Amino acid sequence: MALLSVKNLQIEIKTRAGVAPVIDDLSFDLEAGESLSFVGESGCGKSMTALALMGLLPEGVGSVAAGSITFDGEELTTATETRLREIRGNDISMIFQEPMTSLNPLFTIGEQIAEVLRAHQNLSRKAAWNQAIELLDAVRIPNAKARVNDYPFQMSGGQRQRVMIAIALACQPKILIADEPTTALDVTVQAQIFDLLQDMRRQTDSSIILITHDMGAVAEMAERMIVMYAGRKAELGPVEDVIANPRHPYTAGLISCVPHILSTLTEEREKLVEVPGIVPPLNDFGKDSCLFASRCQQAQAQCLEARPPEIEFGPEHQSACWRAQEL
Amino acid sequence: MSDNTLLNVEDLVVRFAVKRSRGFGKNAYLHAVDNVNFSVKRGETLAIVGESGSGKTTAALAVARLVKSYQGKVELNGTDLLHLSDEDLRQARAKVQFIFQDPYSSLNPRLRASDIVREPMDSLGNMTETEKSDRIDFLFEAVGLRPEQQRLFPHQFSGGQRQRIGIARALATQPDVIICDEPVSALDVAVQAQILNLLRKLQKDFGLTYLFISHDLGVVQHMCDSIAVMYMGKIVEYGPRLDIFNVPQHPYTQALLSAVPSVDKARRAKSRRILISGDPPDPVNLPDGCRFANRCSTAKDICRRDQPKLDNGVACHFPGAKL
Amino acid sequence: MFRGNTAAMFALIVLGLIMLCAILGPWIYPTDPFDMVWAPFSPPGVDGFLLGTDYLGRDLLAALIHGSRVSIVIGLAAASVSIVIGVTVGALAGFYLGWVEELLMRITEFFQVLPTLLFSMVIVALFGASLPMITLAIGVVSWTAVARVTRSEFLRIRELEYVMASRASGATNSKLMFRVILPNALPPIIVQAALMVGSAILFEAGLSFLGLTDPNVVSWGQVIGSNRQYILDASYTVTIPGLAIFVTVLCISLVGDGLNDALNPKLRSR
Repeated sequence: MALLSVKNLQIEIKTRAGVAPVIDDLSFDLEAGESLSFVGESGCGKSMTALALMGLLPEGVGSVAAGSITFDGEELTTATETRLREIRGNDISMIFQEPMTSLNPLFTIGEQIAEVLRAHQNLSRKAAWNQAIELLDAVRIPNAKARVNDYPFQMSGGQRQRVMIAIALACQPKILIADEPTTALDVTVQAQIFDLLQDMRRQTDSSIILITHDMGAVAEMAERMIVMYAGRKAELGPVEDVIANPRHPYTAGLISCVPHILSTLTEEREKLVEVPGIVPPLNDFGKDSCLFASRCQQAQAQCLEARPPEIEFGPEHQSACWRAQEL
Repeated sequence: MSDNTLLNVEDLVVRFAVKRSRGFGKNAYLHAVDNVNFSVKRGETLAIVGESGSGKTTAALAVARLVKSYQGKVELNGTDLLHLSDEDLRQARAKVQFIFQDPYSSLNPRLRASDIVREPMDSLGNMTETEKSDRIDFLFEAVGLRPEQQRLFPHQFSGGQRQRIGIARALATQPDVIICDEPVSALDVAVQAQILNLLRKLQKDFGLTYLFISHDLGVVQHMCDSIAVMYMGKIVEYGPRLDIFNVPQHPYTQALLSAVPSVDKARRAKSRRILISGDPPDPVNLPDGCRFANRCSTAKDICRRDQPKLDNGVACHFPGAKL
Repeated sequence: MFRGNTAAMFALIVLGLIMLCAILGPWIYPTDPFDMVWAPFSPPGVDGFLLGTDYLGRDLLAALIHGSRVSIVIGLAAASVSIVIGVTVGALAGFYLGWVEELLMRITEFFQVLPTLLFSMVIVALFGASLPMITLAIGVVSWTAVARVTRSEFLRIRELEYVMASRASGATNSKLMFRVILPNALPPIIVQAALMVGSAILFEAGLSFLGLTDPNVVSWGQVIGSNRQYILDASYTVTIPGLAIFVTVLCISLVGDGLNDALNPKLRSR
């Protein structure tokens, strides 16, 4: 049985115009130790999925309307707040995009890591502190014993993100959700963070859900990927497969609209493939049609009339496109 | 200096005084840009790449005289911009225009799109109102906006459309050089391609010269003709596009290139990721020798002692060394 | 947005009525507030005087209506004075930085630490208690808050890229200051200005209560001041003008709050 299983998840948020499904009929499984990646533009529901898994949907605005999230055999959508609090940080933890604001500026990083340990694992003050030093060392902060007394402002962006990873990993979670963990960081720092995450995964055998818009990062980090568009799953499959043979025009667009550094560069510079337009507004999200049709070169009449079903290509690869066969 | 060099920057230094809580008397200085030299040929694109704190944006702002330089020369068509008096400088600004990173904060929220594009023509030049309106119509079409969108306010546009307005504004005074400061890094991936294609098309159609500032090496390789790689205020490597990307000489450039994640299987198989350890040095207390020495795995004693000069396009004592 | 705020809308309506009263009052109720029309201390509603008479037998309703003009005019004028001084000082300090900012902010702090009531009393005592002088005195002691708000907005906005874009396209300093930054800095200044009107009315009342006012014009504060000895015998002579001040200032504050919500872009986007 999968570690995490999401079935027909529907999340609605209230907008001025009414209720819109920001996540629309999303299903996927996550195995223990697996690395899965969500890709898409902003406003496609990637972060909302992460928040739903954490039970952290914005209160009074977003709610689970249908479907289920099963973690280790336990249903999360109906779990009590107390139970969710136990799971958060302990079994499922999350790191965020902005390392500059996700640490409390008034406490030392040691205090902030120890706090999590004490809350979840009932460690003594001393034991928690010692483990905080070990964790800092594990995320490769040099001279951890001294730096544990530093305040967040004394650290660089990359170091803060490592502290966030240390906090997230403090209780050896089964799932680590990383929401654009390196978007605010330099590329050489990103390489260090990715390297660290890969190592951590190998050592602790936890699963990683990486949320990103960078196909390159997906290719380096993940085994399977889900391409999200306008709250719906556009394509799901093994990373190598999807990148080599994208079965959804949106995936193909995301791959070819970015200028990539190739193994050998030549004088030739092709015009980049454009995906015209932008993600549709929220109030169009529930429509019974392909939401990508307005931006799609391949769109036909059928695409505007009904929502495409998920078509299987082999056991692992699915695409929600009426013309997936032809691509 | 060859004949069609349009912009020539020599020994540019930009420094900021930093207040240090301890100690009296002498001010400490942060050399954001330290003895930087580069030149751009007419109709070409020079990219300055580097990570945060490398001084690339400061260098660009100094070229446009939007920050004060401490010393050096910025020659545009033979005129040194750094020594112009106030009124001459104001007029010279027509020749150097800027495209900003953030399409949200770079447009005045209280002006209509057409007025944003009109502003440079109002401040500079002596066009009649009809000429200005005609030029606005022309520019809106050139950047791919519809004429009826001229009446709208910035918040009624998407990020990509706002960046198009910013580009139209930069083109308004027919500048010689356009400085693009991370023009797509705030945009969604799918929109980036639209803007990059537009910038290349405009360059071809109008013979524009770009100074392109970016941290995204994929974008840079697509846009530029030559590249300057900056680290801690210095240019560490400078050369034509293919040289830098295919045979990087400086260890920092090598590490930077290897850090970019790629969808190209061949590249991933071929290249080994070079992780650079540690952190950059304190920019106020720079070491005597090479600024990259403390993170460089090939550093020898001489690297910690003497600062390497930019020679043959690379500032390193052991260029081309395998990391 | 503003319309959705019931309290502010209600306050605006009440304020409108008060203004209407101030403008049209002397025509609808022409009784001279200085005329002794009846016996002193006639309670409200008795003998045909809706709000009664004061210790000299003057009609309180007439005083209230005629006094509203002075109170409101002084409130508006003094607020304008402080806005003009405050915006100028704040804009220059926030735009030029360096020694200009240092100097102007030290001056601002100097005015901030002055005991405002005493200082304005000194001005009025020295230069005479005419209406323009009272207005000026209030304006001079209350501009510092505006200067601070303006400066902080300027400091924020001057770093935004569209200001740099204007500079890059050759805008002069005065254009940057007054055509680019100031319009974008206005929302909090407008809110501050609205609140300023309220506090200026209070200030004027305070000054006239102390007798520092033009004896030939009637204002709410002055009515309270001249009747204060009889507060125990005829409390209504003090309570009624006091209520007028209270209601007016409260309404202005509510409108100011409403403006704040309506003009605050962070709240607006919700």
